Amino acid sequence: MNPWILLSVALPSVAGILLLAVSFGEYIRGSEKAFTRGVQVYTAAALALSASVSLYTAWQGEKECSLFEWLDGILVYFRIDALGRLMVTAVSIAWLLIGFYSLAYMGHEGKETRYFGFYLLLYGILTGLSFSGNLVTMYFFYELMTLVSMPLVLHSGSREAVMAALKYLFYSMCGAYCGLFGMVFLYRYCHTLDFTAGGALNLAAVQGHEGILLTAVFVMILGFGAKAGMLPLHSWLPAAHPVAPSPASALLSGTIVKFGALAVIRTVYYVVGPGFLRGTWVQYVWMVLALLTVFMGSLLAYREPVLKKRLAYSTVSQVSYILFGISLLVPDAVEGALLHMVVHAFVKCGLFLTAGVFIYRFGYTRVDRLGGLGRKMPVTLWCYTVFALALTGIPPTGGFVSKWYLAEGALQSGIPVFSWLGPVVLLVSALLTAGYLFPVTIKGFFPGEEKDPGNGAKEEPSPLMLIPLMVLAALALLLGIMPNPLIRYISQITLEVFS
Amino acid sequence: MDFVRNFPFISIILSLFSGPLSSILSGKWAKRINTAVIAVIGVMSACVLAYVAGTGEEFIYYMGHFPAPWGNEIRVGELEAFMAVFFCIIMLLCMLGGMKERLTQIEESKQNLYYIMVNLLLCSLLALIYTNDLFTAYVFVEINTISACGLIMIRQNGRTFEAAIRYMIMSLLGSGLLLLGLCFLYSVTGHLLMSNIQQQVRLLTAMGEYHIPLMVALCLMSVGLAIKSALYPFHSWLPDAYGYSTVSSAAILSSLVSKGYIFLLIKIFYRVIGFDIICESKVIHVLYVFGIMGMIMGSVSAIREDNIRRMIAYSSVAQVGYIYMGLGLGTEAGVVASIYHVLSHAATKSLLFVAASGLTDASGGSVRFKDLRGAGYRHKLAGIAFMVGSLSMVGLPMFSGFISKLLFSQEAVGHTHKMLPTLIALAVSTVLNAVYFMKTVISIYMPPGEEVELAESRNIAMREQPGKSVALVCFIILNLIMGLNSEPIIHLIETGLGMFR
Repeated sequence: MNPWILLSVALPSVAGILLLAVSFGEYIRGSEKAFTRGVQVYTAAALALSASVSLYTAWQGEKECSLFEWLDGILVYFRIDALGRLMVTAVSIAWLLIGFYSLAYMGHEGKETRYFGFYLLLYGILTGLSFSGNLVTMYFFYELMTLVSMPLVLHSGSREAVMAALKYLFYSMCGAYCGLFGMVFLYRYCHTLDFTAGGALNLAAVQGHEGILLTAVFVMILGFGAKAGMLPLHSWLPAAHPVAPSPASALLSGTIVKFGALAVIRTVYYVVGPGFLRGTWVQYVWMVLALLTVFMGSLLAYREPVLKKRLAYSTVSQVSYILFGISLLVPDAVEGALLHMVVHAFVKCGLFLTAGVFIYRFGYTRVDRLGGLGRKMPVTLWCYTVFALALTGIPPTGGFVSKWYLAEGALQSGIPVFSWLGPVVLLVSALLTAGYLFPVTIKGFFPGEEKDPGNGAKEEPSPLMLIPLMVLAALALLLGIMPNPLIRYISQITLEVFS
Repeated sequence: MDFVRNFPFISIILSLFSGPLSSILSGKWAKRINTAVIAVIGVMSACVLAYVAGTGEEFIYYMGHFPAPWGNEIRVGELEAFMAVFFCIIMLLCMLGGMKERLTQIEESKQNLYYIMVNLLLCSLLALIYTNDLFTAYVFVEINTISACGLIMIRQNGRTFEAAIRYMIMSLLGSGLLLLGLCFLYSVTGHLLMSNIQQQVRLLTAMGEYHIPLMVALCLMSVGLAIKSALYPFHSWLPDAYGYSTVSSAAILSSLVSKGYIFLLIKIFYRVIGFDIICESKVIHVLYVFGIMGMIMGSVSAIREDNIRRMIAYSSVAQVGYIYMGLGLGTEAGVVASIYHVLSHAATKSLLFVAASGLTDASGGSVRFKDLRGAGYRHKLAGIAFMVGSLSMVGLPMFSGFISKLLFSQEAVGHTHKMLPTLIALAVSTVLNAVYFMKTVISIYMPPGEEVELAESRNIAMREQPGKSVALVCFIILNLIMGLNSEPIIHLIETGLGMFR
């Protein structure tokens, strides 16, 4: 029993629920403005406090904590391991930065109290999800994550938003049910549902039931893949992102989709074990799906005129890089996948936040309206350029390193056809990525003649919005210039898993 | 402590006689008597449960100390006592939650009639739970039908008359089939007492005689009780009956009355025919198929509904489908899952009905979705409660619905032929549930459209409806307990079923 783990899950959750209760009860006293200011201060304080508690807990070392017995022999059980620590760290950084950005941004969307309530609550749930020590606990938080992130999509309350939120809910529910379906099988065929590096399959029990178990694992991968935007359950992403407020899209794209990938990693590497899947049809179908998603996502993004929707398709494609890396079942590729998980989290957050700046300042959502911004907001556009470079995978940014490892892993895997097809698809997709991201930079700095350059006045957003962008850009660069500490940390995880 | 053995009998008699007593009282006093009776019976049943759990074995109570076949027998095991306690709790909460509606929707002079019906209903439910005699069961099935009709009809408008008549016809058909089946059994075995019939049935099966008449009797009884508990193709009476009657009636009918019949069917399976014989017969497959169809079709009909009450009613069809699907799996664990679902559905469905009535109160009495927009803000507790109920129905972890779904799927995995259809049906039905319940939850939290007359919809504070608030809070707690601490309940069901043999 470790109180810190409980505290790090409970603190933001309770803070969020309190805020929701306030927004629900409409107990507003005094002026509206003072109230909003109070909410902002409260959110900032709660966020800072809970992030520091989570980070402190995560880096304390291996800790575990079983809460209570939920079902027969199944505990609600938390354990901090290297992977969970990585996730919590990435999420906390993203959460802090997006949080401060939202303080400035959400004034423009309204209903801030409700938004921040769900924002804090979601942070607690994601912390719980990262710290989950067995499949059932993970499933529990996974469902809660869907449910609590839905109101963020729903924020504006328009008909479009409701439809998008419902779509998000159904895809996630289908996915989660597929996960549950597989879990019921794994419960029978595994020694334990606790996460053990390298898997805990009961080989004696599996004997003769390989077919059904493979199907179950495949269904789980598909189901959890829905959250990560993998084909065929990807279409909630482009629907949900444009209608959500920009910081919420950043959360969805930057962090929440990663938890789909995390769930797949947990299932494949911590419950079933990579050895069981290697060379089976599940692996091949999975690779095909992931590569198809990578390619198709980029292609759709390339054709999409609305910036946020374009970024959403780009997420579909980029997260499947991660899934492809996981599907190869070799250490280098998994390393690349985890690196890409971190890099993409920061970069995609940054991109959505920049798109938010454009909307906040000018109300522009389409890419073709964005000409000539380089003069008005050079810092923002430079940040955007760094993110674009990183997502495309051009050195010296983080994206280069992760994609390098992914390609390396694919080549090393020795799987026929895929060992060269993988890198080729990744390269083509990188080209497309450059094709859909750079026009904003190019038109921004070189608008040509038809665009009105304005009177030359600067229109940078407030520092509260600008600083998170700059920090994220710096992180994207830093991960490219000095990736070694992170790589060393991640290689610990892969070593554990493949031993 | 042996005095406790009298309690089941006393509870039946108490509720039976409080009915006629209420007829000479005013509505207010009838209500008090009714509440007291339900509470006292609940406490007594709890004592019985403690007693049975303490001794660890069932007991048989001879009425008037005449042994069978002359006297009438009551058999009390752990499961029976637990069901009685649970039914009392749910009934009390339903009555509490619908108190205000009853005052406005039922004519002043007929207030006390309502409580007569409720008392008789409770009496018949208890008798169905406890009795060890098939014919007694039949008699109380009829009492149950009549009082249920009264509960539907007492809110007097055209729709409820139609609903009550429809319910009456379908229900009588059901009891008729039950009676036929019973006659078959009687003429084949020569007994009416459950344990005696079972002995004879075993003997006959061992000798291989009278196979067809026995199966016919089994079919007739299963179909009869299936009609009464609204299994899918026989559900046509249900939406109107639940959709237009006063809220406490709807809640009681959906969560208790149909469940009483299901419990009787389980008893017939276990105590009259013998579960192994049932499993070998084809009847179980038929129930399974109907159950699966109900799970899907009920949800499909619910999606098409524009009326929140009827939507919840159709969702009952789907949930009853789950229960029969579990029975149809033909294993002990399947029955455990079904019984758990009986409990979970009882707790959730009544919660939904009461919460929905709170929401409609806040929307000028309209049950259309477009008028309900924003109702979650106008009646906050009802909004939260409806959300909890919906999430439980969809099967989110933490709530009771998840546990029963998990039990069903865990059991289905071990099955060779029924595994895939069960899991697929569970998946489809879960998603369909999510479609209509989450749609409703979102719409009650949307800002109201312009077409809603603001004068009609008003804010309702918790203090304004104390009964409903207390009931809703209790229901929510009950749901959470069943979702988070299900282990003791499942264990209890297992030992209770063990006593059935």
